Amino acid sequence: MPTMTAPTPARIKVRPAAENDGRKDFISIRDFGFWYGDKKALDGMTLDIPERQVVAFIGPSGCGKSTLLRNLNRMNDLIDGVRHEGDILIKGRSIYDPGLEVISLRRRVGMVFQKSNPFPKSIFENVVYALRVVGVTDRGALEEACETSLRKAALWDEVKDRLDDNALGLSGGQMQRLCIARAIANRPEILLMDEPCSALDPIATGKIEELIHELKVQFTIVIVTHSMQQAARVSDRTAFFYLGKLVEYDTTEKIFMNPSQAQTEAYISGRFG
Amino acid sequence: MDDKVVTGTPPESRFQVARGTLLADVWMGRLIRLGGVGVIAAVIGMLLFLLWQVVPLFSGAEVTPQAAVALRPGAVGFGEDESGEVVYAAHPDGTLRFVKASDGSSVTDWSPPAGSPAVTAVRVQSREGQVLLGHADGSVSSVTVSFKVSFASDGRRSVEPEVKSEPPRQVGEKGRAVTEVWAVRATNTRLFVVRQASPRGSELRALRLAERRGLGGRAVVTPGEPFAIAPDVDDVGQVLVPSTADSVLVLLPGGEVRAYAGEGDRMDLIQSFRPFPGAGRAPSAAGLIFGDVSAVFLSAEGEQRVWAIHPVKQSDGRSLRRWGEVREPVRLPGPGAGVWAAAGNKCYLLAAGGELQLRNLTTGSVRWQGEAPPGSARQVVFSRNYDRMSALAADGSLRRWKIEDHHPDSSWSAFFGRIWYEGADGPAFVWQSSSGSDEFEAKYSLVPLIYGTVKGTFYALLFALPIALLAAVYVSQFLRPDLRLIVKPLMEVMASLPSVVLGFLAGLWLAPVVDANLVPLLCALAALAPAGLASGWIWSRLPQPVRRRARPGLEFLWLAPVVFLCVCAAWSLGPSVESALFTVTDPSGAQVSDFREWWRVSTGLAYDARNSLVVGFVMGFAVIPVVFTIAEDALSNVPAALTSGSLALGASRWQTVWRVVVPTAVSGIVSAVMIGFGRAVGETMIVVMATGNTAVMEANPFNGMRTLSANIAVELPEAPAGHTHFRALFLGACCLFLLTFILNTLAEVLRQRLRERYKVV
Ligand SMILES: Nc1ncnc2c1ncn2[C@@H]1O[C@H](COP(=O)(O)OP(=O)(O)O)[C@@H](O)[C@H]1O
Ligand SMILES: [Mg+2]
Repeated sequence: MPTMTAPTPARIKVRPAAENDGRKDFISIRDFGFWYGDKKALDGMTLDIPERQVVAFIGPSGCGKSTLLRNLNRMNDLIDGVRHEGDILIKGRSIYDPGLEVISLRRRVGMVFQKSNPFPKSIFENVVYALRVVGVTDRGALEEACETSLRKAALWDEVKDRLDDNALGLSGGQMQRLCIARAIANRPEILLMDEPCSALDPIATGKIEELIHELKVQFTIVIVTHSMQQAARVSDRTAFFYLGKLVEYDTTEKIFMNPSQAQTEAYISGRFG
Repeated sequence: MDDKVVTGTPPESRFQVARGTLLADVWMGRLIRLGGVGVIAAVIGMLLFLLWQVVPLFSGAEVTPQAAVALRPGAVGFGEDESGEVVYAAHPDGTLRFVKASDGSSVTDWSPPAGSPAVTAVRVQSREGQVLLGHADGSVSSVTVSFKVSFASDGRRSVEPEVKSEPPRQVGEKGRAVTEVWAVRATNTRLFVVRQASPRGSELRALRLAERRGLGGRAVVTPGEPFAIAPDVDDVGQVLVPSTADSVLVLLPGGEVRAYAGEGDRMDLIQSFRPFPGAGRAPSAAGLIFGDVSAVFLSAEGEQRVWAIHPVKQSDGRSLRRWGEVREPVRLPGPGAGVWAAAGNKCYLLAAGGELQLRNLTTGSVRWQGEAPPGSARQVVFSRNYDRMSALAADGSLRRWKIEDHHPDSSWSAFFGRIWYEGADGPAFVWQSSSGSDEFEAKYSLVPLIYGTVKGTFYALLFALPIALLAAVYVSQFLRPDLRLIVKPLMEVMASLPSVVLGFLAGLWLAPVVDANLVPLLCALAALAPAGLASGWIWSRLPQPVRRRARPGLEFLWLAPVVFLCVCAAWSLGPSVESALFTVTDPSGAQVSDFREWWRVSTGLAYDARNSLVVGFVMGFAVIPVVFTIAEDALSNVPAALTSGSLALGASRWQTVWRVVVPTAVSGIVSAVMIGFGRAVGETMIVVMATGNTAVMEANPFNGMRTLSANIAVELPEAPAGHTHFRALFLGACCLFLLTFILNTLAEVLRQRLRERYKVV
């Protein structure tokens, strides 16, 4: 269960480094810079994200965490007047490769948004949406995928009797878990989560954090969070951003116990941000 | 907490609310409420006004008995002046006694001139102002009764009868007394018919006079030779002489009716029929209805049957005017005793089983019913403007009724039912409110107009909805945002184009252009959709690097050459398509390649230049902007979170639109469609100007229609207020109101449900 006390460095419990640390780099971000129009939001980012680990992005508001996250599945392309430099590779292939369909990239890189955004459809239809757009029509396969995803998202027991109800009738925490279930239904390789718990109460937050632990076995997870305890609790590695630059990126343990940069130290001890 | 704390210390000024703020709040609230109530009241008021105009159409006649006029005993017929002030009774000896209707005081008496042969038969034809006297020597004299209205110096009205008699004409066989006499006058001819006793019973003889107006305006009368009608019939029963003066209906005692007709000095049997099927069932009463092409027969068993002359297709393809039964039989309260037609409309009074019924022949409606005075009436006379009827009762008294029936020819079935009008070959829905002729009967079926409204709306929406909705989807979801900022206001400008201008363009410019280039246009229309789809398919097969060349939001530019090519191809191939597919042999035997001719010949339907396609197309211009604007708003208002959620799940843009955006915006789209529908249903000027406005009932896209709204616009200025025509137009307005009201309500219910289902938190 999560604790709700104020974030003081002394009380932050850091998980021991995961045993699968040091896997080959799954996502590698190379000198990545990004502009919204004339405004540069990211500058010279370089970091590697290993497979099946949880990486947390932390930093004060507006430092570019979401921007980088949204670039990983090219959701930022939808915004007018954006521009990037550098490259992002997934399994060694650039996501900007002209021969790569952005749709297939997004099928591979799932995303959970800060504010839950279930479609105004039934719970079932929400979960199997990704399968429907791929073209799965077999009812049995859909039902099976629905159950698996909901179970993984720890929502099955709560909704199994009302799969045909409108998803908008769920509580806030349930909706967010539904969005997670929806994001993993087509079994992507990477799961991006942008402050998934920011609108949730502690109990729901706890459930989602547990969920992240379980999902790590299968997925590579990148999570943006405002809460340092959450970063400490769920992630294997943590990246600290400040004003569009990557300040420090290391194992979570290192960042929280012994940061090498003064800015990181100041941020996690609550002196600014 | 004690009261002192609450009431004692006044709140500090910064917590106080100014009186003005509170007052403004209260008054604005009231004002808004007033506005809302006002709008509802206005709508209800409008509906009530429409109903108030329409309700009189469905109320029957009001018939109130007036004081009876005492006549001298022994009257066999009567007549009256137009205002009903002076009544004259005809007596068996041919004397006419004029009395004041108000008090029965004598005005004057008239007797046949001295020396004329003894009178043996009298008939008063009050409407024509004619009294016919049959004489003992077989001759007939016609007496004209007219009334002169004069005003005395004190303003008092006085009505002076004037009687003129013609010398007797020999119609019957010389020396044999006339027992019954008829005379009718049509253009250029007069027909006299007499009945004379014969050894076997009675027989008919007739005389025709040809009248020609000479140069000086004086009538030149050429009498023909008297001739016999139905010489083979032993005993002639009741006789009906239509005012067309070309035929005679003879009812035989056995139940058979024979129609004799002919020109000159003969009449031949042209048809014989039995109004009541079954041997021995004879009419107990019969009468011709105004216009004299329909006859009502009553039977002793209490049944009414209506026969009329109408075109009947013969086996050789010709169509002849013959008598046929034109209405369902009607059960009456008792044995039929008499039928008397009103003047100037298709109403008639019938007596059956002690009851009087005032009925309308065309609609079959019972305008009024009441108790009949004891004994059967000898003669019933309706005033010319249908506001009074008088009956000469068997006891010699004259009973009078005041009639208030402003809409005798209206009824539910007249407006919404199939009606067999006189002269038509079958029942039909017809709207034809006016015509040049007086004999004309106005036809007020709203069904062709409702049909036209639905047809116009259908073609307009068929064209407008796909374009407006797809454009809304495209603009809101795919177009580059900066272009979108241009397109939306442009569409709104388009919405503000006055429909008169659109109608004008449609009727005077577009219709001829379409007419001249019909086949290329149809080819282009037919080719565009497949070409668009095909180019999309080809596009999706192109390698990714090529596709990347299309800037997002500007993909439509790639479609422009496709559209252009399509149109060019259609124009250049049009003539060959026309000659390959639409070649017909025209009436002169030549082969022509003309779609219009081909359409007429191969479908048997009409082709007009101003047709539904043109109207639909131009009405589309009025409908597209409203539908587009509202649908675009609804689609743009779908939260971006849903769109990005869908895209992040790996859905394509089209899948996102189709599976998420459209369902979420569906309630707004339904509203857009409904508003477009309302606009199309109510659209008036375009229809008025761009169609022929003929009230036909054909789904044919190549002819016009007349819509309820266009009908009101065209005819209301010439409909006299309070007249049936006027009220029928209001009934059309009611239908329009109801149509839109019902559809809007249904759409609103649907919209609420959809909103419930797809509501976004
Ligand atoms: N759609 C956008 N258009 C323009 N600027 C944006 C947009 N989204 C974010 N930014 C800017 O980019 C910077 C980084 O934003 P963001 O990545 O959302 O920060 P974080 O998620 O770390 O709070 C901020 O300064 C923000 O104002
Ligand atoms: Mg953010």
